[in-house]
Amino acid sequence: MSLIVDRNLPLRNTFSLRRKRTPSKAPSAFSETVSTITLGLPALVAFALLWEIAPRAGWINALFFPPLSQVLAVLWEMIVSGQLADHIGISLQRAAIGFLLAVVTAVPLGFLMGRYSLFEKASDFLVQTLRNTSQFALLPVFILVLGIGEASKIAITFYAAVFFLLINTIVGVKSVDPLLVKAARSMGTSDWDLFKKVIFPSAIPSIVAGARLGVKTSLFSVIAAEMLAAQSGIGYLIQNSSLMLETDCMYAGILTLTIIGLLLNYLLVAGERRATHWRGSGESGPN
Amino acid sequence: MERIAVSAVRKSFNLKPGQTVTVDGVTSSRIAVLDGVDLTIDSGEFITLVGPSGSGKSVLLDVIAGLTEATSGVARIDGVEVTKPHARTAYVFQQYALFPWRTALQNVEYALEVRGVPAAERRERAKDFLHLFGLKGFEDRFPSQLSGGMQQRVAIARALSTDPQVLLMDEPFAALDAQTRDILQSELLRIWEQIKTTVVFVTHSIDEAIYLADRVVVMTARPASVKEIVTIDLPRPRDLDIRNSEAFNAYRGRVWESLRDEVGKAQRDWTLASTYAN
Ligand SMILES: Nc1ncnc2c1ncn2[C@@H]1O[C@H](COP(=O)(O)OP(=O)(O)OP(=O)(O)O)[C@@H](O)[C@H]1O
Ligand SMILES: [Mg+2]
Repeated sequence: MSLIVDRNLPLRNTFSLRRKRTPSKAPSAFSETVSTITLGLPALVAFALLWEIAPRAGWINALFFPPLSQVLAVLWEMIVSGQLADHIGISLQRAAIGFLLAVVTAVPLGFLMGRYSLFEKASDFLVQTLRNTSQFALLPVFILVLGIGEASKIAITFYAAVFFLLINTIVGVKSVDPLLVKAARSMGTSDWDLFKKVIFPSAIPSIVAGARLGVKTSLFSVIAAEMLAAQSGIGYLIQNSSLMLETDCMYAGILTLTIIGLLLNYLLVAGERRATHWRGSGESGPN
Repeated sequence: MERIAVSAVRKSFNLKPGQTVTVDGVTSSRIAVLDGVDLTIDSGEFITLVGPSGSGKSVLLDVIAGLTEATSGVARIDGVEVTKPHARTAYVFQQYALFPWRTALQNVEYALEVRGVPAAERRERAKDFLHLFGLKGFEDRFPSQLSGGMQQRVAIARALSTDPQVLLMDEPFAALDAQTRDILQSELLRIWEQIKTTVVFVTHSIDEAIYLADRVVVMTARPASVKEIVTIDLPRPRDLDIRNSEAFNAYRGRVWESLRDEVGKAQRDWTLASTYAN
């Protein structure tokens, strides 16, 4: 099993305090973000312009690709009417519940599997089998067993997140420096304190990395599930608008999803940075 | 007064499946590391241990620390057999072993924390010990922000903060540059002279061994036992210049002579040892 890494991670995802405190020529996190935006802006603007002009000029069918301004107008309407907030709320709620259930399951289980090799041997085969079964393939099963209500949607988000968390917890627990364990033992650390004060903190960077991926797949899975079987949520909004050929509405939904994804990623990266702030710049992140 | 008594301690390890070791034509899946070590150390004594690499010095410290069980024989502290880490024994490692997610202050606090010392009190104590080692102003630094010498100071402060009766040090200065090493040796002696705890200090440097010690214990090549104990009769407090004295030179010759054969043996054993060193 190897650590799961993600390409979206900025190259330097951890920063030492030293770098923040002492003024140096190295770019700060902030100026780096600014330069990413200013450099990236032209391409984004060009894309938006193309989206606006192409349907108007008749290069592409405006029925399938309504101009950006029309999409934004619909989006604004949905914001004002509160309709969008309702959909966002229900999707996020489903994803959050499934994700949190995954955390409370995967982290303790990962600790046991990472720490006790017998436990890992007994469960590894099952975990590997389940892990390689797509959560989408299982959606019909969830619906059969749990009905088309909330439970099946929460189940799919749970399933989507749990293995990222589980495997990264195992990796984190296993990667604890044996010398730190030895030092802790020599100071008379109890088994419980060893878990709490040594193994858990050294596993945190890995767990947080897993959580970051887990949150994203949770959200994407709930969208997919809503497309297939739901009466609410962003996924439902997109799918339903598409069926009704309300493409401006559909793109508004897709855009919403993109923005949520971007915000979430930003928050998660910031959270990860906080969780690993003690790392030196020399041994930064798993990427 | 006798503090540590190691009697007839033997230790052998089972090798991993498939690994074997051949000694004198006999192939075995066990490796003998300690071969009847006898050593008694008085309260307040400063002992240094020298011996060839791989001879079992670290394993011996682990036995005294209660981290490894002897295959036979016992280690006692104040007459009580060591079976688990003793609350008044502290251990310092070559690689510092600081928790990277804790600041210097929090690292020192750790040892007090697991002993249940109240927060305010342990903070005070930890600060005092950091200051004792010249780390005022570095309390909030993470280990990754400290130099090797500073990190080892933090580790020693952490060890001493619990007021240990026995301080085990496994090549604590080996990873440091020569100047830092000199400074830390003197600092350690200065503080030890105040607290007079019992120290067992492993080193590969003969000079360091003589400079620090009341007695230098020379270990044989693996499987190890005590080969010779050289009593260092140099006045204290010692100055670094003492290393240039004639008396010091004589000790240097003696320890080296004792060590030389063992290092030679260990070298002949080298192919073997390198194969099985983890
Ligand atoms: N857990 C273990 N399993 C198997 N063999 C071990 C184990 N721990 C130590 N050994 C072996 O015991 C021998 C002595 O190891 P030890 O670390 O005590 O040597 P040392 O004298 O401290 O050497 P150095 O001066 O290089 O630190 C080595 O040959 C090592 O391979
Ligand atoms: Mg050693």
